[in-house]
Amino acid sequence: MNHHESFQHMIDESLAGHISAEREQSLREHLDTCAPCQEYLSASNRVIAGLGGFSFEVDPTLNARVFASLRRPAQRFQAAQPDRRRWVLIGLAAAVLTMGGSFVDLQFGRLIASVFDIQRTHVQQGLLAFWIVPSLFVLLLFPLLPLLSKVGTHREERIL
Amino acid sequence: MESDTQQIALGLRQGDVVVLETLVEQYQYRLVRYLICLLGRRDGVDDLVQETWLRVLERGSSYDGQSRFEPWLFRVARNIALDAMRKRPMFSLDSNDGDGVRPAPASDKPSPFTLAARTEDADRLARSLQTLEPVYREVLVLRFQEDLSLQEISVVVGAPVSTVASRIYQGLATLRPQFEGETA
Repeated sequence: MNHHESFQHMIDESLAGHISAEREQSLREHLDTCAPCQEYLSASNRVIAGLGGFSFEVDPTLNARVFASLRRPAQRFQAAQPDRRRWVLIGLAAAVLTMGGSFVDLQFGRLIASVFDIQRTHVQQGLLAFWIVPSLFVLLLFPLLPLLSKVGTHREERIL
Repeated sequence: MESDTQQIALGLRQGDVVVLETLVEQYQYRLVRYLICLLGRRDGVDDLVQETWLRVLERGSSYDGQSRFEPWLFRVARNIALDAMRKRPMFSLDSNDGDGVRPAPASDKPSPFTLAARTEDADRLARSLQTLEPVYREVLVLRFQEDLSLQEISVVVGAPVSTVASRIYQGLATLRPQFEGETA
């Protein structure tokens, strides 16, 4: 690469916005005194100016067509929003129920056993079977619920 | 107070039609221009524009509002255009071997660039632009028309900054000879 080619490469870098401050400074100093590099820069600037000289026509009905094509999908999209909120609420409720069941078992298991005159293990088994395990199951299944719901929705769309 | 990009991100997450329509009005011309420059043709662009906005609605939640909206929008449009080209192959956006020029299509129809040229310099560039490889044309328009930084262009085209820079140099080198040897 000769002396001018090296500075002309710096002109390209400068136009692309890919040059360091020192190289830019060195380029400016060189340009003050170098006619071939000035011409190179001038031709490059005309390319860039030429690129700005195009004005493409846009169909005046295009925006209206885009708006029309967006309306229904946007409504569907918005209708799907509460679903997401509902799944989050279900997940939260399942987490609270799981923790609540464990709390009741730990804090009130003995009291319940004495009130109903049954063994403590029976209370624990009852709480596990009818409270803790079902809510834990919903909680573990929670990440899959929206996915299952989506599969159902797609199936519904295909039928329609 | 939320920035504009954060408001756009919020509107897209909610599928807000008003936000979408504002974006369509604001960016439609630039989207059309980008797709014409990417594809080198006018026909079919309107369909791609419609598809792009639908994709914006569907995938809007992936825009985080931390960076400018334009690079994200152009990236979406580019993916749509690539999908369309895979279905109906005309040329590859990944081919960048050789001198950056491909043969002009054999057609009597004037190119979109010839039709859109409004200045003498643009008129002189029109034919070369039509034969320039799309990968070079694309980065030139993104850098000098859309005023995107190299980092933003790199996001749009999915290539390293150094590759984007060398494509810009190559694109300029292909178009520059038409203006060499003249005083501006």
